[in-house]
Amino acid sequence: MTKSLRAASLVLAAILFWPATTPAQSPQFVPSDEKPEDYPPGPGRDDTFYSCTACHGFKLVAQQGMNRRQWAESMQLMVDKHGMTPLTDADRQVVLDYLGATYPPRAPAEGRGWQNPFLQR
Amino acid sequence: MNTERSIEELYAEDAERADAEIFGRKTGVNRRGFLGGAGLAAMGAAVGGAIPFAANMPGGLIPSALAQGAPAATPAQPAAPKGPTLLNYPGKNDKLVVLGERPLVAETPEHLLDDETTPTEKFYIRNNGQIPDAAKEPDTWKIAIDGEVNKPVEITLGELKSKFKAQTRRMVLECGGNGRAFFNPPARGNQWTNGGAGCAEWTGIQLADLLKMAGPKASAIYTAHYAADLHLSGDASRPTLSRGVRMPKAMDPESMIVWAMNGEPLSNIHGGPVRLLIRGWAGSASQKWLTKITLRDKEHDGPGMTEFSYRVAIKPMVPGAKGDPKNFRILESMPVRSIITNPANGAKLPAGTKEIKLRGASWAGDLTVKQVDVSVDFGATWSGAKLDKAKNRFDWQRWTTTLKLPSDGYYEIWTRATDSKNTMQPHQAGFWNPQGYGGNAMHRIAVLIG
Repeated sequence: MTKSLRAASLVLAAILFWPATTPAQSPQFVPSDEKPEDYPPGPGRDDTFYSCTACHGFKLVAQQGMNRRQWAESMQLMVDKHGMTPLTDADRQVVLDYLGATYPPRAPAEGRGWQNPFLQR
Repeated sequence: MNTERSIEELYAEDAERADAEIFGRKTGVNRRGFLGGAGLAAMGAAVGGAIPFAANMPGGLIPSALAQGAPAATPAQPAAPKGPTLLNYPGKNDKLVVLGERPLVAETPEHLLDDETTPTEKFYIRNNGQIPDAAKEPDTWKIAIDGEVNKPVEITLGELKSKFKAQTRRMVLECGGNGRAFFNPPARGNQWTNGGAGCAEWTGIQLADLLKMAGPKASAIYTAHYAADLHLSGDASRPTLSRGVRMPKAMDPESMIVWAMNGEPLSNIHGGPVRLLIRGWAGSASQKWLTKITLRDKEHDGPGMTEFSYRVAIKPMVPGAKGDPKNFRILESMPVRSIITNPANGAKLPAGTKEIKLRGASWAGDLTVKQVDVSVDFGATWSGAKLDKAKNRFDWQRWTTTLKLPSDGYYEIWTRATDSKNTMQPHQAGFWNPQGYGGNAMHRIAVLIG
């Protein structure tokens, strides 16, 4: 369990989204509340959820499917280009283990690719 | 047949062997698959109808219906409800499909793009950052032009409207990642199908008029666009997205600064009160909530310009491999694309239906569409569609045709467009790149007769 990671994520979220310091979003649209339990269970799920949702919705993650190396590149992209605070090596492994196991490459049809409505499931 | 592995896994390892193992299908030298009797029956059963043109299914392609039916591979099923999340946003159609809420991203299913001009309520939504508050006094909105110019300009939207000649054009706006969902293996980013595009009437001025007012120096070779939307982190010092284009594209008469969409003031969610409209190139070049354009003496390097962002491989790479940023170039013109907008995927028609009327749309980035073809037999035979003329340069081209069907049963209708340089859409999204640009696989719909 990586308490330090969760604590850091929550602190980060608090800093970034504290109402008094964050300019208001459009009142027209409030993103729905997400929680870790909305996503597949597995070791590291909650840590992964809070690391990602400090900045963006988890649906952005969950709609993708990549191997562990590609997920590592995505996290590096977040650090390099989007101001994510780098995780410790240990925390990083936890997050990558969850992403790699839960969201591996999938055939397009299993993801968002072309859907056949006549399918008999 | 190894029953412990999914269809996807078998096809991923060796598509032709998978054909043989699963369906007894052998792929001939002409790359068409031929079904044995048992395999054909199995495929028919899986899609709930006979497959009249089964013999023409390309070998090594996962038959679409079966791919849908395959049990999930190793990952656990999400606890979240299955099926697409539909949009709930004031003034927007509630059939748009939400790809993400923070940032808010939603696409338009192909069959909702059936209007000649895409109504604003059906137009896709792409944000990179937070949605800003709507401007209370749009005409006081300021736009600055600086950088490699002789006299920097700051002008309000009100002045812009009164100083320059307005023009209205019907033009496609398309997300750079449109079609990304069809890459295999999946590429990084929002998983757009074909719905990150729409064609609206845009009113504004030529971007060139405003740039000329600032007097670009000879050293100005590239634009850098800035906007009012906050980065998702809330850090005001960090641009959410800042892309640009080469000066010749910026000076093109169809590159515009627009304040109206379909005859109405540009709504906040679409970048109002004022945005860029750089038609034919990735939508991210058409900065929403435009506040500033800096002319630069080198290629712009803002967020969204470097490494793999809005870039494609120069030397084709192995799908899924790690890219080398030195091997990438900026995606400029979007690729050719055709979609079927009527009927919808999943249409059921009465038994005995012998022909089907199709409508669709096609466009090709900076180019025009020369030809649109359709097929009801998995691409074995094609027939041309009647292609309408564009209303103006960079408009999309609507098309219609009537297809004859030999019997009742399950059909997939495919469409492909060819651009004015004779480049045609491929069967599958090709030239894989890490962030999935240029995915313009042919569009298909499934229909069931009887």
